[in-house]
Amino acid sequence: MDMSIAGLAELFFYSASMWWVIIPAVVVGILMGAIPGFAAHNTIIMLLPLTLAVDVNIALTFMVALYCASHLGGGIPAILLNIPGTGGAAATTLDGYPMSQQGKASKALALSFVASIMAGLITSGVTLFLLQYLSQVGFYIRSVEMVVVMLFGLALIAAIAAQDMLKGLIAGALGLMLGAMGADHIYATPRGTFGILELFDGVPLVPALIGLFAISEALIMLEKRTIAPEASARAMPTWGETLREILGAFKHWFMMLWSSLLGLIIGVMPGAGASIAAFVAYQQARTYSRTPEKFGTGHEQGVIAPEAANNGVTTGTLVPLLAIGVPGGSTAAVMMVVLQFHGVPFGPRLFVQDPILAYGVIMSMFVAYIFMLVTLFPLTRYLSRITVVANYYMAPMIVAFTLVGAFVPRNFMADLTIAVAFGIIGYIARKTGYNVAAILIGVILGPLLERSFLLSMRISGGDPMIFFSSTIGNILWALLAITLLASPSISLLRKMRRKGDIY
Amino acid sequence: MTRSTIKAPSLLGRRSFLKASGAVAAAAGASSLLMPSSAFAQDFPARNMDIIIPTGEGGGADRDARAFASVWGKHLPTNFQFGYYPGAAGQVGYEFYMSREPDAYSLIFANLGPEVIMLELQDTGISVGEDIVFIQQTLSEPMCVWVGPNSPHRTLEELVEVGRNRPITVAVSRLPHPASIGMLALGEALGIEIVLVPYGGGNPTAMAAITMEVDCAALPITNSIVLGDQSIVLGVFADENVAPDGTDNAPAVNAALGTSIPALTSSRAWGVHRAAYDAHPERVARLVESMQATLADPDYVSAVEGAGVPSVFIDPGDESVAMASAQATIELARRYRDLLTGS
Repeated sequence: MDMSIAGLAELFFYSASMWWVIIPAVVVGILMGAIPGFAAHNTIIMLLPLTLAVDVNIALTFMVALYCASHLGGGIPAILLNIPGTGGAAATTLDGYPMSQQGKASKALALSFVASIMAGLITSGVTLFLLQYLSQVGFYIRSVEMVVVMLFGLALIAAIAAQDMLKGLIAGALGLMLGAMGADHIYATPRGTFGILELFDGVPLVPALIGLFAISEALIMLEKRTIAPEASARAMPTWGETLREILGAFKHWFMMLWSSLLGLIIGVMPGAGASIAAFVAYQQARTYSRTPEKFGTGHEQGVIAPEAANNGVTTGTLVPLLAIGVPGGSTAAVMMVVLQFHGVPFGPRLFVQDPILAYGVIMSMFVAYIFMLVTLFPLTRYLSRITVVANYYMAPMIVAFTLVGAFVPRNFMADLTIAVAFGIIGYIARKTGYNVAAILIGVILGPLLERSFLLSMRISGGDPMIFFSSTIGNILWALLAITLLASPSISLLRKMRRKGDIY
Repeated sequence: MTRSTIKAPSLLGRRSFLKASGAVAAAAGASSLLMPSSAFAQDFPARNMDIIIPTGEGGGADRDARAFASVWGKHLPTNFQFGYYPGAAGQVGYEFYMSREPDAYSLIFANLGPEVIMLELQDTGISVGEDIVFIQQTLSEPMCVWVGPNSPHRTLEELVEVGRNRPITVAVSRLPHPASIGMLALGEALGIEIVLVPYGGGNPTAMAAITMEVDCAALPITNSIVLGDQSIVLGVFADENVAPDGTDNAPAVNAALGTSIPALTSSRAWGVHRAAYDAHPERVARLVESMQATLADPDYVSAVEGAGVPSVFIDPGDESVAMASAQATIELARRYRDLLTGS
């Protein structure tokens, strides 16, 4: 599975020669990622006739570049409009949007883009050298360990609830209850679906996301003239200011490195994905921050962590497909269709029969992120202007665009109704001080937690001790306990130090 | 330009045109009553065909449907739009399909084994034959039991030996599935406890076996074949193993263990609304004709093999064969209802 440095260098230049494929894919990916509902795999499915018609190298390069770019694009509406383009960008809203409201949209965008691109470069670079080791992660992370990983993500509810414990926990519990709707994982018995067919597969993520964030935000926006303070309407950042903002993002290099590697590892885990990675990274960043109280108020690290993590995931989800032959996510599953159509083997046989293609997929990702560097300056400088457009223009556009986005993934008209229903829930929650992000965390992570929990219990014959039966699982439990105790302990220590009780 | 030349075109003026077109329309209408219905079939399909797949993208159904459609276009000149509706063991896809216009432009690509069991066991209100007719079978494959490359169990006998000391955990795609029935029947025959663990799809099921989260997996045999070195087939629920090359020459379960479990297969078949079948027989006939031409096309064999599926599993069967497969599956589901539903 190994490849020489010279071979990788040759592969780099070959991938770079595919610029004519990568650049359009990056443009399409950023655009589609920025429109809620049009996630990478939907776009790739729409373009499947095109990718099936061309050479497999071109098809894979196009899909990989589009996939990466869509994750970068997902952060744009999260920051500017409080509307995550994908589930993976939901955590970005927590600090990205408050920055926009403070007139720091271009800075938030710079942080998001730099974190996304650096994470992509770091994780694809690491994967090129450590692919065979990364592919082993799946052998150690099973349903038992996944339960603990989900709990890491759910712990973010407690962090959010810290500002108003009762309301935060109620919002999280509501999210978990909504997430429990749908057919159960073992016997496929419908629960809480009210006989609505469209809810049999659970609450659909995109309409829920669009309702909770986009529609409720559009209603809230109408109460103000613009998102950013009126004073910031006059000034667009100069090229020099944009450069300083981009360079300033690099001071968070350690956070980028740590969060991107966290995203990579979570991406490799079967069944995990960008949403989990982003929430876990945000929660970790907040726990070990010197200023946890600033999270949620427009803190720079609150943008860096989820964006680095959700871009780290992009590389990770391809590892099981390449190394084992089983796709790690929906986008990888569509890529598998293309490989199958072209008669290309996958899994270990791919490395034996066509190693150039196997490593080429990861190298295409690396090169695509380099090409995305070009987009940094114009996107950072000009996109922030969206926040000074009058809200009475923006709100109807948001509702129209996002409702289309709610319809796209499943083509169910009922998904529009679900989006509106969640919009009403979101609006009421915002007006009464309940955190919509806490609701969303429950909706996203609840079903995943339940699935892993039920699988584990079924394997053990109902014995709960299975959750403490593996070494990796026990280490994760210990880390979870440390994480949960760290934040209050650190706060207590600081308080005592301020009082002079300790030195 | 003279007046007469100006008037010349009025030989087919508005009034004349209307009269002429009326006559043509009347003639066409009259003749349509007399002409055989196949004349309409020439206009079919006038738009894209919608293919409903009741499982997720990238799965076995997607793979097989796309392999078929890649050749079908030669024999049915139109485009094929794929829609994926997974959920509730396939119920979402079937219920969504039933809500579509029954005009023969919407087809469902069925995995007869698991989906017919699901229709029989779950409260869907959809009945095979009364609501959906399977008009053409394309492929059939047996179920098998297999393990990952690092599994300590290398033969069926070794796995059974483990089962004499503790329950055997088996990853399955879903409970209502012929592979699940095969494992339950095996447990019943040998007096060992089988714990079925449904992972909700072929890919996560395969991952569970490869990572050894469970003792083994039970799936349609192609899932194992496409994984190559990542799977070791221990036994096949069939009278004989028709694909020995890709399956480590695994034995038939009955031959290896002396059991008498019925052959368990799953067939891919195209289904159409009963209402469309009754209202548009000429369209259905055109569909069947083009499907059979596709199945006889050597390019289809190449497409199937290109997708990693042994061509030995190509198993063309007309409506009577497909419906007989479905009926046999219904009877199997009824026999194992209690075990599959946990009741």
